[in-house]
Amino acid sequence: MKNLLLSSFIAILFSACHFGHYGRLTKATSASTSLKPIFGDNFNSFLFKTNITVYGKDYSGLLVTKQMSPKDYRVIFTTELGMKLFDFEFKDTAFTLHYCVPQFNKPKLLKVIQKDIETLLMNNLNKKTFEYFTDSKMLYSIHKSKNGKLDNYYFTDKSTAHLVKIDHAKKRRKKTTFILSNYQNDFPGNILIQHHDIKLKIELNLLKK
Amino acid sequence: MGKLRSNIIVFDKVYAERSRSTQPDVISGRHTELSRSAFFPVITLFFLLISFSISAQVPAGYKPLKDTTAFKQKMEAQSKLVTTLESDFTQEKYLSVMSEKIISKGHFHFKKVNMLRWEYNDPYSYLIAINKDKMFIKDNEKVSKYDINSNKMFKSINEMMVNTVQGNLLNNKDYKAKFYENDKFYLLELSPLQKGAKDFLKVIQLYINKVDYAVDKVKMIEPSDDYTSIEFTNRKTNQPIADEKFIIK
Repeated sequence: MKNLLLSSFIAILFSACHFGHYGRLTKATSASTSLKPIFGDNFNSFLFKTNITVYGKDYSGLLVTKQMSPKDYRVIFTTELGMKLFDFEFKDTAFTLHYCVPQFNKPKLLKVIQKDIETLLMNNLNKKTFEYFTDSKMLYSIHKSKNGKLDNYYFTDKSTAHLVKIDHAKKRRKKTTFILSNYQNDFPGNILIQHHDIKLKIELNLLKK
Repeated sequence: MGKLRSNIIVFDKVYAERSRSTQPDVISGRHTELSRSAFFPVITLFFLLISFSISAQVPAGYKPLKDTTAFKQKMEAQSKLVTTLESDFTQEKYLSVMSEKIISKGHFHFKKVNMLRWEYNDPYSYLIAINKDKMFIKDNEKVSKYDINSNKMFKSINEMMVNTVQGNLLNNKDYKAKFYENDKFYLLELSPLQKGAKDFLKVIQLYINKVDYAVDKVKMIEPSDDYTSIEFTNRKTNQPIADEKFIIK
């Protein structure tokens, strides 16, 4: 029992180290799996039951994403009861706020949510230059790209070729983690966006695509 | 109609109050009013429902209604007969940029006085209940409870309910009402006149069945012409509903 506990502890410690600590990543000359935008290029729309937790306050609703043209995405958030809360458009590198209820119109909050969605949409991936890494267990293919003053680390599971995590980090210190899980037909059923420097968590649970 | 008008007046007061309140920065971690906005459409709808009642179908081609007084009197008389209501509903959210509508389905229960259970069950579970001075939201098995008397907005909602049920009616000059009819339906169009309400609502359309003065459909159209429509089916009036339905744990 003691051994089991000890080995579990070591396993947890080890997994925490290799996954969360970038110092354990080994540089690679190329990527063993390619990095593809999860929202793809097939003009689908996706509907998510969404919960946003900001400093202990919970807001829930439905988030819809729709690709309008190859580099143009529309993202709309409504309450379950149909009241539109915000309407964003991401076109190439431009962002347009089409609509926002006054209660949601907080520049700081909007900016954070905009950046989170931008990271998920991966709209300008082809304009990025990447460095490649592997973890010590060789489970993940890791792409690193510059995102302003920060870095994005994309973790792709080598066995499934699914993007399972994005870390948004500043000098190797994690600011935001995106966890993508429960893949069905190559699309994640659950997306969790956890901020580490502010108390903000966004959960997206796929209802329909 | 008088009932409806009185409902809208309080609805507007609630909105104005909320608009006036300072909105602290969300990121700073202080309280925001956003969560309350979730109640807004359901509260409106709720009062529309108990002012009239419910059933199903979509019309085509209307003419202006001449005798609006008789219509209003009939609506008031009908609403006084209602003690409980329940119905299935189908909500359609139309967003012009999306190719498909977002369709949600559910069921609601209402019992005089002040008890409402509004529940979505497809494609997600989400429940709002009002029980006299308490308001509940159940989302992902998590129940949040609000005391209606704990703030002015909830208190206004409560007063609105009591006034509606007891028939203490007021005239509302904040909405412009238009009345139409065809063979089967009355169509009421309510346009907000206040700036605050105009920001998010262009017009509310009520489709009222001429047979039993029941609301078949409510359509809330936004300034962008995106809309939310809710159709009601399988209506049951004055069937016993246990009080436990309105207590959420």
